[in-house]
Amino acid sequence: MLTSQRKKNERFLTRKQGNPLMLDLVFCAHYPFSRQAKEYVSQKGIELTSSILDKAEERVKNAVLLGKIQRVAELPDSMEEELAIYAAARMIISAANNRYLINRYAVTEAKRAHEYLDADEFARLDYINEVAAEFGVKFEKVANGEGYFLPLASYLAYTPRSIDYKLANREVAEGKVRVKKNERRRILEEAVKKRMERELPIKAEFQEEVKAAGARILAILPKLESAVVRVGQEGYPPCITKLIEELALNINVPHTGRVALAIYLVNVGVPTDKIVELFRHAPDFSEKTTRYQVEHIRARKYSMPSCATMDSYGACVAECHCGSPINFRAEIHGRRLKRLEDENRGKEEKK
Amino acid sequence: MSQMPQSPEEKFLRKLFSEHYQRGRINVVSPEKREFGFGGWEKKIEFRHIGVLGEEQLRAKLVSEAPLYVSHSVGYYEFPDARPMTRKNWLGADLVFDLDAEGHACGKFTCSQCMDGVKADALKLIEEFLLADFGFSKNELSANFSGSRGYHVHVRSEAVRQLDRDARREVADYVTGTGLEFTRLFWTEGKKFLGPRASQGGFGGKFARAYISKLDDDSFALSIARKLKKPEERAKLKSAIENGNWDNIGIANREKKLQEKFDAMKLTLAGRIDANVTADTSKLIRMADSIHGGSGFAAKSMGMNELSDFSPMKDAVVFGDAPMKVKITEAVPALCVKDYSFGPLAAGDSVEMPLCAAVYLLCKKAAVLA
Repeated sequence: MLTSQRKKNERFLTRKQGNPLMLDLVFCAHYPFSRQAKEYVSQKGIELTSSILDKAEERVKNAVLLGKIQRVAELPDSMEEELAIYAAARMIISAANNRYLINRYAVTEAKRAHEYLDADEFARLDYINEVAAEFGVKFEKVANGEGYFLPLASYLAYTPRSIDYKLANREVAEGKVRVKKNERRRILEEAVKKRMERELPIKAEFQEEVKAAGARILAILPKLESAVVRVGQEGYPPCITKLIEELALNINVPHTGRVALAIYLVNVGVPTDKIVELFRHAPDFSEKTTRYQVEHIRARKYSMPSCATMDSYGACVAECHCGSPINFRAEIHGRRLKRLEDENRGKEEKK
Repeated sequence: MSQMPQSPEEKFLRKLFSEHYQRGRINVVSPEKREFGFGGWEKKIEFRHIGVLGEEQLRAKLVSEAPLYVSHSVGYYEFPDARPMTRKNWLGADLVFDLDAEGHACGKFTCSQCMDGVKADALKLIEEFLLADFGFSKNELSANFSGSRGYHVHVRSEAVRQLDRDARREVADYVTGTGLEFTRLFWTEGKKFLGPRASQGGFGGKFARAYISKLDDDSFALSIARKLKKPEERAKLKSAIENGNWDNIGIANREKKLQEKFDAMKLTLAGRIDANVTADTSKLIRMADSIHGGSGFAAKSMGMNELSDFSPMKDAVVFGDAPMKVKITEAVPALCVKDYSFGPLAAGDSVEMPLCAAVYLLCKKAAVLA
C-alpha cells in the first residue's frame, strides 16, 4: 500500500487521559478482535445496516460450513466495513448462543488471524509483536540460536495441549520455554481462539434482525444428535450425561472427567468400541491412546469415583445424593425419578 | 456437628486438638476465599463446602468442632460454601505438589527411611524443577509436612493462579517426565546427529549432564564403547556432549545404545509427585500447621532452608511429655517420637508413655485409653 494511502487510514485520536493514540486501520482489519479494533469501532460507531448484517451472516455461515473466513481487501472502506461485519457476526453468534457454534467460529477466526500473521511476518513484523502484546505474551529472541523463549505461564495458557507441545520435550529454564520460529504464530492463533471462546456469547438483548439471523445459523448447524454416539443414556446420572454432552460439543473435557466417564460406561456394560467412538469428539482424540486407556480401565476394574470425588473434579452438576454415580439408576428409580423429571420439565418451560 | 457416638479415644483426641487450636498457629492465605473440609474418626473429609469469614472465625470453628483433619481448597472462590462446585465461582488456585511415601509400602507406622526418601524427592522437586526450570522464586513457595507420610509444596504466584486443569496436568507431566520422547530430544540433520547441550534447560540438559557424570563410572563407560577405557577418550566424549555434539563420538550403534541409556535413565531424572493432585484445581489439601488425625503430628510448615534438616518424628510433634497410660491393641515396632524411644510392643501391653507418643498410637488406632 502507498504510504500516503496508509496515512489516510491512520487516525489520530485522543484517549480520555489525553494521550495521543494512533489507530492503524490495517492492523484493526487484520485483527478485529484486538483492543485497538474495538477502540476504533467505539470511536467511529457502527451502524447495523441490513447489508452489514447480511455479510455478517455470510461470515458466520462460511465459518460453520467451510471453516473459512475471507480476508478483506485493503481499501479503507472495505476495512472499516470489515470491522462492522466482525462486530455484527459476534452479535449473531451470541443471539444463537450455541457452544458448538461458538467453538467452531472461534477456531475459524483464529485460523484467519493465523493467515494474516503469516503474511505480516514478512510485510509488517511489528504487527506480530502487537498481537502478542494484545495477549500479554512476550516472545524473547534466543540469543545464540533459532526461535524464542516464552514465559512458562504464557506457554501453558496458549499452546495447544498436543504431543507436539509436550512440555517435557522442551527446553525449560528459569521460567521460560523455548519455541520454534514458526510456532509463534500457532501460539497466537490459539490465544485468539481461547479469547473468542471466553468472550462469547455477549450477554445483551439483540434486535429482531440479529435474532432472526441467529436462528437461521442454528438451522444449518450439523445435527449433533446424529453425531452423538448412542450409548444408552437412559437413566444416566446428570454428571455423566453432562460429560457426554460436552464431548459431543467438542469441548475439551479434562482428563479426570474423561476417566470417570470411561469407568462409568465400562461399569454399565458399554463395549469398548462404542466408548472409543464417543471420545472421537474430543479435540485431541487419538484412537490408539483412547482404546488402550479404556481397555486398561476394564482390565484393572477401576472403581467409580464417588460423588464427593466427582464434585472435587468439578464434574458434579446436581445434588442427587446417591453417593456414587453408579448408584444413580437404582437410587433415583420410581418416585424420585418422576419428581426430578417434573422439576426438569418445569425448568424447561420457564426457559 | 457429628451425629455419630464418639469413642472415648476420639473424644479425648478432639479435646486435645481443640485446646491446641485455641492458641496454635493458623496458616492459611485468604481463608475467606477457601473451601474447608473437616474430617473425623472414620473419614478424612466428613464435611466440606465449609466457608469462613476470616481467620478468627476459622479458629472458632476449629476450637468448637475440633475436627481430626482439616483441609482447605487449593482454589480461591467467590462463594466457597456454595454448592454444587460451579456455583462457588472459581477465581484461581495455588499450584500444589503432593509427595507421598505411600509407594514405599512399609506398613502404617512412620518409617524414617521412607520419610528420608520422600524428603529427597521434595528437595529435588524444589531445587531442580520449581526453582531452576520453572523459575519461581523461593518466596513464592511454601512447603509443609503432610502430617502423615509426605510433603506438600504450594506455589503462590500470579503466574500460576489462572492455570486450568490441562495446563496443570502439563506441569505435572513435565515433573514426572510423562510424554518424554527420545526422538524429540535427539534428531538427525542431514548426516549429523544432534542432541541437547549440557547447559540447556529441560530434560535434554538434565540427560546430557547425567550422561556426562555417569561417564566417570567405569562400567557405564565400558558399556558404551571399549575405547572409553582410555581417560583421554572419555574426556573427548564429555566435551563433545557438553556442546550438544552427540555426532562425532565414534561409537558404533550410537543411536540405539543412546536410546537404551535414555530409557534406563529418564526415570531417575524425573520427579515423583501425585500428578492428580497437581492437576485438580479444586482439590482439598491438608491445612498447613493443622493436626493430622492419623498421627497427631502437625502438618508443619517450614522455610525452604529448613526442609533438608526436617525430621517429622521430632519436628512435627505437637503435644508434650506429660505421662499417660495406654493399652496397646496391635503389635507396634520400635519407634522414636520426639526423644522418647519405645517398643516393640505387643497387643495387650499396658504402658505409660509421654503424651506425644500416646497420641501417636491412639491416632494410629494401635492403642486405646487405659
